[in-house]
Order: sequence, then structure tokens, then C-alpha cells
Amino acid sequence: MNALRRIGASLFAPALAVVVAIVLTAIVILVIGQDPAVALRVLLDFGDTPAQQTQSIVVILNRAVPLFLAGLAVAVAFRMGLFNIGVEGQYRMATVIAAGVGAAVVLPAPLHVLLIVVVAMTVGALWAGIVAVLKVTRGVSEVISSIMLNFIALGTASFLLTGPLRGSEEGAAIITTTDIPESGRFPAINGLFGVLGLEQPRGQLFGFLLVAVVVGVVVSVLLKRTRFGFDLRATGLSPSAATASGIDARAMVIKTMLISGAVAGLIGLPDLLGRTYHFGTEFTAGLGFLGIAVALLGRNSPVGIAFAALLFAFLDRAAVPLQFADIPASVVTIIQGTIVLSVVVANEVARQITRRRAGRAGGQGGDGGPDAGTSAGPAGPAGTRITDDRQEAGA
Amino acid sequence: MAAAGATGSPPADGAPYAVELRGITKRFPGVVANRDIQLRVRRGEVHAIVGENGAGKSTLMKTLYGMHRPDEGTILLDGRETTLRSPADAIAAGIGMVHQHFMLADNFTVLENIVLGSEPTKGGRLDRAEAARRIREISDHYSLALEPDVLVEDLGVGDRQRVEIAKVLYRGATTLILDEPTAVLVPQEVDELFSNLGELKREGLTVIFISHKLDEVRKVADSITVIRRGTTVGTADPRTTTARQLAELMVGSELPSPETRTSTVRETAVLQVTGLTVPSVVGRPAVDDVALTVREGEVVGIAGVEGNGQAELVEAIMGLRALTAGTITFAGQDITRWSTRARREAGLGFIPEDRHRQGMLLDAPLWENRILGHQTRPPAVKGFFIDRRSARADTERIMREYDVRAPGPDTLAVALSGGNQQKLIIGREMSAAPKLLIAAHPTRGVDVGAQSAIWELLKDARAEGMGILLISADLDELIGLSDTLHVMLRGRLVATLDPTSLTPEELGGHMTGAHDGSVGAA
Repeated sequence: MNALRRIGASLFAPALAVVVAIVLTAIVILVIGQDPAVALRVLLDFGDTPAQQTQSIVVILNRAVPLFLAGLAVAVAFRMGLFNIGVEGQYRMATVIAAGVGAAVVLPAPLHVLLIVVVAMTVGALWAGIVAVLKVTRGVSEVISSIMLNFIALGTASFLLTGPLRGSEEGAAIITTTDIPESGRFPAINGLFGVLGLEQPRGQLFGFLLVAVVVGVVVSVLLKRTRFGFDLRATGLSPSAATASGIDARAMVIKTMLISGAVAGLIGLPDLLGRTYHFGTEFTAGLGFLGIAVALLGRNSPVGIAFAALLFAFLDRAAVPLQFADIPASVVTIIQGTIVLSVVVANEVARQITRRRAGRAGGQGGDGGPDAGTSAGPAGPAGTRITDDRQEAGA
Repeated sequence: MAAAGATGSPPADGAPYAVELRGITKRFPGVVANRDIQLRVRRGEVHAIVGENGAGKSTLMKTLYGMHRPDEGTILLDGRETTLRSPADAIAAGIGMVHQHFMLADNFTVLENIVLGSEPTKGGRLDRAEAARRIREISDHYSLALEPDVLVEDLGVGDRQRVEIAKVLYRGATTLILDEPTAVLVPQEVDELFSNLGELKREGLTVIFISHKLDEVRKVADSITVIRRGTTVGTADPRTTTARQLAELMVGSELPSPETRTSTVRETAVLQVTGLTVPSVVGRPAVDDVALTVREGEVVGIAGVEGNGQAELVEAIMGLRALTAGTITFAGQDITRWSTRARREAGLGFIPEDRHRQGMLLDAPLWENRILGHQTRPPAVKGFFIDRRSARADTERIMREYDVRAPGPDTLAVALSGGNQQKLIIGREMSAAPKLLIAAHPTRGVDVGAQSAIWELLKDARAEGMGILLISADLDELIGLSDTLHVMLRGRLVATLDPTSLTPEELGGHMTGAHDGSVGAA
């Protein structure tokens, strides 16, 4: 009963957000003179033949895998109160270097893939590590530094692509790195459809899906079941209490950013190892920023992020079919944008409801109740101590 | 007895009181912060409100400034009953508050800070000329010597305080509340402030002056109201009352005592601190060359008015604050350079002064709070992993043994009352069987029942040989529990007293510096 209620509470916010987003989008579609019902039909229409339908599922899953990894990368940092806005730059850097390294060596297949994965994770971690070092040694806000590093990453990736790692011909319209040889590619897992008795789709289902699942489980266990995860979450809940409990806040910043960056390094790999085999000017961009939205929608829990990634991928799939129905593909972006906005609001509402309910469950009201007085005065400058009268009261 | 019973008598000249409070009671969950407060302030006087830390002075002033509404009682301003719903109401009624901690924007000028929120405008833009004119007028009128165009960050503490005063005068206040205005000032600045208050008085303004520095109060106030344990216990005439008599009124004479008289002090020292110095942001060090020893089975109390370095001392011992000098030896090992975690693992328990800030994760369940601070030790942890089942089981045990009233280990900490939260923290720290427990204000903000339970727990732990460093603002608690008592003033340990032959009045005198230089019976 209790558990049910808790799950209900945690589902409430995202569900509300999705509903609000759909209503707002319907209004937008009406305003531009189209029929929202058509748009909804397109969203839900996976195709006529079984092969088309499985193909739609492949498209969704293939899109969901990198979104899930991006959401995880953001969430790990979020859980300790760090805003890693730099996931975008971290995965761009990681992918271009991993593509370069992967193309430059020849190894037995499993080792080759492993090498690429390790390189990507290392580069992602190091790039995020810069943010952590700046924060710990110089007190630079991770939001600012990671945004700035995104620009540097974009520039550096372009430089690497057009310079040292360039693989395409002089004068080619699309510049790419050299293709990764067969041994460095991640096999597709289309066999899955056979096992489930489904029609084989046209495209290939990324084998990296399995890696993503493993990463999801590892991150989940790390956060929920380990000492490290406890320290991380405690720091996120209350930095002062965490420090007093013996957690070294600076070390935690560095470790957390390294983990976040390492996961971010994986974001580009499903595409790189499963479809394009090279990094190029056309390589999927924007996954890092979408990851922030996915993490928010998934409330920073791996399971929630998986569902959020699937939802975003489901919406993305409709981008092309919508255009066939004369509805601009940006409808998808509008839905995603409004979901994120409303989820931020809904999360806060849900948090207050749980707090209030917890307060009632405790019977006595308690110290966490509405702060009498302290919020009424003008806000002081940082470091201003506002005396808590309830603490003074009984001393 | 110096307490002149002013009850019921109207002011001699027949005019109504500027501020009159009748029977004000204010409750918070689990505690009564103010009970049946009676206060009468004449127009044009400096009226001091004195009381111990936690006696309820701030709660009272928040009531008067409209920051919360009293549960019972009435507020009369100039003889008229008034309801104050917000500080805006209070300001409109002519009441201004000068906070203890300045609320100024450093990178704004004096003028900008003063007009902020009630700017004179001309054509939608800030009318600087008009603002400057009015500020100069106020400054000249009350000799505040303010320069409107100076940046606040370039001002000293005394100047900033005058900016705060100008701020409330600018809003037309006729009654000023000054909350511990001298706490942040050096003696010369205090003198300046007092001459400013004299100006205000001459102009017919009323000043309510909150303090616990008795000598200052006697110097500046025209009348004094004393608050003890949430209620007004009397009024006094500063001309005929000694600091000692005031101190007696403040702390009371017959109070229930948390006594422990049979000594359990053993030979072995658990904690030895020598030459400990902690820097502060500005000026003299927050902790200045402190030396103290805690032995097994000994409770060492640190008495002192809040803000005299106790918090910094505690944080330094816990490894939360950097030292400029000194060594800390714990159980025979030099731990001066150890991390907080290493210190905790070595057997240092910690009951922080602000449990919401340092002691708990409010949005986490109780069993996670059981782990906090003990992440590296059983029973809640197995190697690299959290042992959820044992953590829950042990939380249940703590809830049982320490009488923590909550539905279960999965309840969020925020749902518990202050007393229950505190009992959980104490249970958690005791469970690790620390060699030394640092207890900072262990019974602050808890109700009477929890208070005596906590005292019992501390006594039992002491009997079992635990060393306890007790920081408190409750003089009875300090005298009753301590085997040795140090007084901390301006970052230094200024006196070592024997609690067996000490009265709260004497201790209060030492704390406020009334006994400055004298050495207690040690």
C-alpha cells in the first residue's frame, strides 16, 4: 500500500506533465490550422505491415539508447546537485576521438570494441573532469564552465575532424573520419525479433542497447546500494550535512563528474558502432541537451530515465511521418519542450505534496513544517544567518 | 529585588504606551516559544529587552514586526489594538526593524540600499536627487553621518549599521527594534551607536533594544524588561539595578537541574587540544589559542554567549574547519590533519548544533539518516555496499531504545518533531560507541520530556566512560552535567569553573564578561 502510494506519487508529476504538453501542443496545432487528431493518429501509427511496425520499434529503440545514456550522464551529476550542462561537449569530444582511435587500429573484434568504448569513456570523463577541477580548485560554477566547454568541444571536434582525424577525400561535401573496420563494430541484435516471433525489420537494432541496459543497472546499483551512491545522494540532499558526516565534498565533485563524463562518453557510440562507423559533420547532435530533459522527466532515476528516453524517441519517430500529413515536424519539439517545462513545475508540486503528506504521517507536524517568520524578512546576502526561532525557543 | 512591578500602572503623563503587548503566546510544534508576554514601552524611551539565548526574545520581536502572528494576546500601538499580518503592516504602523545580521546589498550604494523597495520616482525612474536630499536630511537630523553615494562594501560595520537604521527611518518608522545591535560592534562603535540612539530619543522616537550584554543595557536603556524561558519575568529600572541583579532575573534562581554529582572522571585523556586557533573572515581569530582536555567519563562544558567561537571550535575538532595553529590529540593520536571521516571512524561522535543543516537529510527516510556519518561502519554497511536490511533493523532498534516516535524506518526525517529528530541523532551517534561525543546544544529546540531523556542518555554514556564535550546556552544544563566548565569569550577560554559550587548567576556573569579578568574557583 505504502509502496504503491509512493510509486503513484512519483508517476504523478511526469504523467501530469505529458498531459499538459499534449493539450498545449494540440492548441498550437489548432492555431496553425491543422487537426490535432491527425497528429495524434500519426504519432500512434507504427505502419501497416508487421515489418513496418517492427521497423518503427527499431527506430524508437535506436533513438532511445543514446537518449537514455545521455539522461543517465546528466542524472548522476544531478543526484549530487551538480548541473552537468556539458554532456553535449563531452560526448562530441569522446565520439570524435573514439572514432579516430577505432579507425587507426586493428584488433580482434571484442578487444577492438572494448578499446573504443574505453577511449570514449576516458575522453568523456577527462573533459568533464576539467569542470570538476575548476569547481574544486577555483570555485567556478559547473554550469558556466560546462557550457563554455561545450563551445570549446565543438570547435576542437571540428578541428580534429578537418585536421588530424580527417578520413574523407579533399573537397568532399561531408567530412568524416575514416570508417572503423569490421572488427570494431558492434553487431546488431535483430535476432531478438526472431526469438520473440516478430517480423524482421528493415533496419538493424543497435546491439549497444545491451550495453546501455548494463550501464543503467550499474548506475542504479551504484546510486542506490553502494556507500559511494549514498555519499553522492547525501551530498545532493544536503551538502552541509554530508560534509559533517565525513564526506569529502571536493573529492565527491571530482568523482561524480568523472562518472558523469564517462557515461556521457558512451552517448555517441550506439550510432558510431552500429550505423555510421565514422564521426562526421552530420553526426547526431544535441543529444547532450536532450539528456537534460530526459533526466528531468525521468526524475533522475534510471528506470524513470529509461521510460523518458522511450517517450522522447517515440515522439521523435513521428517527425518524418508528420510532415507527410502536412504537419510541421517541429510539433515534436514543441511537445518535448512543453513536457520539460511542465515537468519542472509538476516535480515541485509533487515534492511539496509528498512533504506535506509525510508531515501529516509523522503526526506531530514537526520541524519541517512551513517556516514561520524566516521567509518573511528580506533575503539577506549570501552567508546571512537567519535565526530559526523554533530552535531558539526551547533551548 | 530590583524588579519594579510596573503591572497595570499607566504612564505618568497619561499618554498611551507606544507599544504594549498583553498576554502574547506563540507556540511552535512541540514548544511554546513565548508564553503570556507583557511588555509596555513608553514613547520616546530606549527600552531594553534582556534574556538568555533562546529565552524567546527573537520570537517576540518577530511577533512585533509582523513576521508571524501570536496564538494568543493583543498588540497595542499608541493605545490602539493592531493586527500585524506582515512586516509591511508593521512598517505602515511605524515599526522598523534593524536586524542583527545586516541585510544590505554590498555592491549597491548607501542611497540605493536605503531606498530599495520604496524608491522615489520621477517619470518612472529613480529620482536620485530627491532620494539623496531625503537621506541627507535624515542623516543630519539624527547625526548618522551618511554619504549617499558610497558603496556599502567600502563601509565598516558601524557605518553599515547606521545605513540599516537610516533604512527604517526613511520608511517613516517611529519605533525602532534593534536586535542585538552591539553583537557585531567594537567598543568605540558601541559608544557611537549609543549616541545615535540618544539622538533618536531626543527626536521623540522609541527604541526597543534587544541584548544580553547587561552593562550596555544599563548604560543606554531607560527601562528594562527581562525575559526568561519564553515569558516576561519582570521589569527593572537601570538606574537602581546592578548587573548582578539583572543576571539573577535573567537566569532565575530555582530551576530543575540535570545534576550528576558522583564523579566518573578517569585518568586517561580522550581529547587534548592545544593552542587551537581558527581564523575568521575578518579581524581577530574566531578561536584564539584554546587548550582543553576531555578525559574518559568526563563531561567538559563550554559556556559562552553564542557567537564567541564555540561553533568554530566544534567544527575545528570535527575537521570541518581549517586551523591556523594548534594540535588536536584524540585517543593518543595526533588527528590534527585527519579528515572528518577518519575522525569519525576513530571514535568521534557528533551532535551538531543545527541538526537540519548538519545532522540530517530531511528528505531522506530515517534508515538513511541512520547511515549518515556512519557510511563506513557496520551494521548499515557491508564492504562497498549499503546493507539496507540491517540499516532498517538498526533504525528500528534506535527508535525503540531511544523512544523516537515515528511510524517506521521508512518515514521521511522531515516528518518528525524536533525532539524525535534529536533523539534519532543521539541514538545514531551513541550506537557507534564513540570514545568522545561532541554535543552542541543537545537539547535545543526540544520539548521538556525529550530534554530530560537526552540528559539521562548523556549521563549514562558518561558513566560508561565516554568523554563528552558539551556546548550549550542552557546554563542549568551546563552546570548540571559538566564535570569541568570552561567559559568562552571572544574566541578564548577565559575562565575554568567548578560546577559543583557555581550558580547560574555567577556563570552568566562570566559569560557576559561582567567578571572579566577574574578567575573562577578551579
